[in-house]
Amino acid sequence: MDNHQAENQTPGNHLTRRDFVKIGATAAAIGAAAMALKPTVGAPAASALSEQVTRPEETLVKTTCALCPSGCGLDVRVVNGRAVKVEGNPLHPLNQGVCCLRAQASLEILYSPERLAHPRIQMGRRGSGDWKEVSWDEALALVVQKLSDLRKNGQAHTLALVHGETRGQMRSLIHRFMQAYGSPNVIGRESLADQVARQAMFLTQGINGLPVYDLNNASYVMCFGGNLLETNRNVIVHLGAVAFMRRGRPQRGKLVSVHPRLNLTGIKADEWVPVRPGTYGALALGMANVIINSKLYDEKFVRDFTFGFEDFTDVNGNLHQGFKNLVLEQYTLERVSKITGAPTETIARLAGEFATNRPAVAIMPNEIAELNSGNSLYTAMAIHALNALVGSIDVQGGVLVQRFPDLEQWPDYTPDDAAVQGLSQPRIDGAGSAQYPLAISIYQNLPDALLSGEPYPLNALMLLNTNPVLDLPQNGRMVAALEKVPFIVSIASTLDATAALADVVLPSATFLEVWGDDFMEGVGYAGVSLRRPVVELVQDNRNPADILLQVAAQLGGSLEQALPWSDYQTLFRQRLSATPLDWEKVESNGFWAEMVYFYAQPGSPAWANIVGRDRLNAPKDGRFDFYSRELAAILSNDTMNDLDCLPHFVLPEALEEVVHEAQEYPFLLISQSLITQTQSWQGTIPTLQECLGLQGNVKWRSWVEINPKAAEALGLHDGDVVWVESHIDRIQATVRVYPGIWPNVVFMPLGMGRHTMTKWGRNAPEQMIVGSNPNRLVDIRSEPLSGQAIIGPARVKIYKA
Amino acid sequence: MPRWGMVIDLDKCFACQSCTAACRMENNTPIAGPDQAILGRAILWNEVLPFLEGEYPLVHATMIPRPCMHCDNPPCTAVCPVRATYKNEEGIVVVDYQRCIGCRMCTVACPYAIRYFNWFPPEWPQALKQHLNPDPEVAPRPKGVVEKCTFCIQRLHRAREKAAAEGRTFQATDYMPACVQTCTGHARYFGDLDDPNSLVSKLSHSPRAFRLLEELGTEPKVYYLKQG
Repeated sequence: MDNHQAENQTPGNHLTRRDFVKIGATAAAIGAAAMALKPTVGAPAASALSEQVTRPEETLVKTTCALCPSGCGLDVRVVNGRAVKVEGNPLHPLNQGVCCLRAQASLEILYSPERLAHPRIQMGRRGSGDWKEVSWDEALALVVQKLSDLRKNGQAHTLALVHGETRGQMRSLIHRFMQAYGSPNVIGRESLADQVARQAMFLTQGINGLPVYDLNNASYVMCFGGNLLETNRNVIVHLGAVAFMRRGRPQRGKLVSVHPRLNLTGIKADEWVPVRPGTYGALALGMANVIINSKLYDEKFVRDFTFGFEDFTDVNGNLHQGFKNLVLEQYTLERVSKITGAPTETIARLAGEFATNRPAVAIMPNEIAELNSGNSLYTAMAIHALNALVGSIDVQGGVLVQRFPDLEQWPDYTPDDAAVQGLSQPRIDGAGSAQYPLAISIYQNLPDALLSGEPYPLNALMLLNTNPVLDLPQNGRMVAALEKVPFIVSIASTLDATAALADVVLPSATFLEVWGDDFMEGVGYAGVSLRRPVVELVQDNRNPADILLQVAAQLGGSLEQALPWSDYQTLFRQRLSATPLDWEKVESNGFWAEMVYFYAQPGSPAWANIVGRDRLNAPKDGRFDFYSRELAAILSNDTMNDLDCLPHFVLPEALEEVVHEAQEYPFLLISQSLITQTQSWQGTIPTLQECLGLQGNVKWRSWVEINPKAAEALGLHDGDVVWVESHIDRIQATVRVYPGIWPNVVFMPLGMGRHTMTKWGRNAPEQMIVGSNPNRLVDIRSEPLSGQAIIGPARVKIYKA
Repeated sequence: MPRWGMVIDLDKCFACQSCTAACRMENNTPIAGPDQAILGRAILWNEVLPFLEGEYPLVHATMIPRPCMHCDNPPCTAVCPVRATYKNEEGIVVVDYQRCIGCRMCTVACPYAIRYFNWFPPEWPQALKQHLNPDPEVAPRPKGVVEKCTFCIQRLHRAREKAAAEGRTFQATDYMPACVQTCTGHARYFGDLDDPNSLVSKLSHSPRAFRLLEELGTEPKVYYLKQG
């Protein structure tokens, strides 16, 4: 056996079986052979033998996960300076000692062979792969030079910062950085996922933030789309809560999953209700129709604490339609049944169950590609209206409002001329403009904005742990758009598809190597979890937050004033000093939390924090808006009608029956992400790839789920390799014939199609692309008002490859 | 001597596969890679298996997480020609990797298909070897031997050593396998089936309790509680 081969294998396993037997026979007392003997399991000799070996130094380090938006507390077993196992932190209120498979596999991220060791600069043409590794000083000097020049030339606004999921105060830090720099262009990924749920919450309940569902105490839980038990933002809280709802208390609750596909939530729910994709809003309104018609709604709550249920006359004497009459006139059972495809009896039964098994909650999905059918804003409002209809606002088992710890004010600073001038410019993604007044940021508008150079061309782009080339292929437009930007810097852990096209890559440390904070979400009460390095830096990487602080310090001017901290740890500790935290305790427990949620009595002073708190234009009168007065104020123009302010249903374009399209592309493609994927890491996680597709037992590749009837009609069988083609592009996938899917719908998992330069396994190629990216089939556009991405359903056809 | 057993409540199991990943990280099962995985050779001691019945829209899917059943009457040990696999005094079925000759008789005999054969030496990219569990019992198995779930026997050894070091009697509750510890729905229970007061013993007598392929007389020590 040559040296090279030996190097690539763990001690002990490079032995062939024959060697192994030979050594095993003679080696009992020899120190080196202890390794070879170790595999003896269960033999009495094993424990005796291990005592001869010096006990390694072993600790359990508490930190906080960052692989999904939950932020669970983790206990990491560290032996001799190496992290070897992850467990849930038993004290942590979110996950209570358990953790999901992503956290389990997170060590494959920490020690990933795909991680970048040093900062690097592109020497040749972009994408040529002609990289030069440089020191941090050199890389940062180059970035600071470029950014500083822009500011000097009065072009600060031509820098955009595009970021992925952020935790704790990272988002505020990014915004403050860009404000002090002088650019309005901070673009996050939320328009692909949860932005619209926040908007619906704001427009109806007047709260800026995602709703919290108290499933521990709910009797009836209805998920309109989404994947509550697999990829929801607070999945671990929901898993624990649904288990408790079933077996932890005397009265068992019921969980209903509405989705065109039988996903894990549907499988594990008490009932699966298949509907046509993108028609959740119609179903919610149909249920409202039955509830109102049968007078099953909470009459007292609706009368005293809501607005716009009945028709009303405004101050100018104009008559407006209310929610009740709209629903009674427009959303009859027959019509809703025709739209959704669910039988009338089912809709009526669900409505009855929902209204009579209180506390009941209707859940708006916040996962990627779930409320993304072009009618998402009013769909989300319709779903949330059901909660108000049955009086589930801020009651046990209802919808709660998340509290956050008090934070110290950011210190004042004087924006310099460059900052003032830059901030007066419009955003390039159009968020907040007349077309998208509700949007905070619109990720999917990025390629078109860059290509058109409207409202102005960008001179620099900073990417922070995000990969728009994978998220928004846009028929090649994203790659072409990057060509238009003279300077691109990517803060990334691996050389993902976008980082590969950058000029400078600053390698980002993983969450297991950095200090950080994390707000507890999904439980209602305030809390903060501590993230800390469990091992020393594995690579010459830095915390992305520290990189921003270092760049700010070097840029000087208002940036230095606005961000005077040397590192992120000092920053978040100082900001959190407004909350009386015992840091010693936070460090030993891994978190701090209030642990008690105080419900507000409707109409009490505390109620002001539950309904109407964050309203800007509508009155803060403690009334839940069926008729959104906030939206009426935003839209106030001559063309606005009542329907614009009320939850209603618009048929997604793809569902309209255009005959020639339906013939050419007969299937509707939906995509979902899976529990075996994370949005926060752009590399390959081998263990998760080997658990990838549970229902169809698929590993390491993409599959397309198709109904048995459709498969029979097309002559397709399980395991066939097919092309899935839309009018834009085609991708390959393996057929999985799956009875749990709407007959003309096909499903493909999101997040596939990543490039890897590592040889995974014995006969694997040196580099490959894992699976195919379904977003390549969709021209992702933006919904008016909300700016939410329109991702699906997309029309496709399928044929054998 | 305790008789170790497990109960899995399918009503609280959400098929999240956290057990599958926890098992891999705890027991150092190797990365199969795409080409071996497609041949069904990914070694996952604790896989979740899907069973689909019915036709759209009345589809009933059952997800069964499947560790080794640690049968009281194990068919695998009876066929081993070299007595490499055996049931130890606490009821855990283990493999002596030094004795195993790789004939795979046990793999065929096991009705639950929980035994995996190492067709090749285990492989990881160099960097990933850093996270391997250093416990001697789970050192990567060589090519040519059969491996399987051991109820994380290394944890039993550590728990006994810890109790001894702290000068107290070892309790059944000191020990739990990695899959039980990480179960997100708190669906798994573990303990001494012979102790009538233990939770597992009580749950194993629940009217919801059943075992897989009970009719074969293998007497599995993994019980399931049925859904709903």
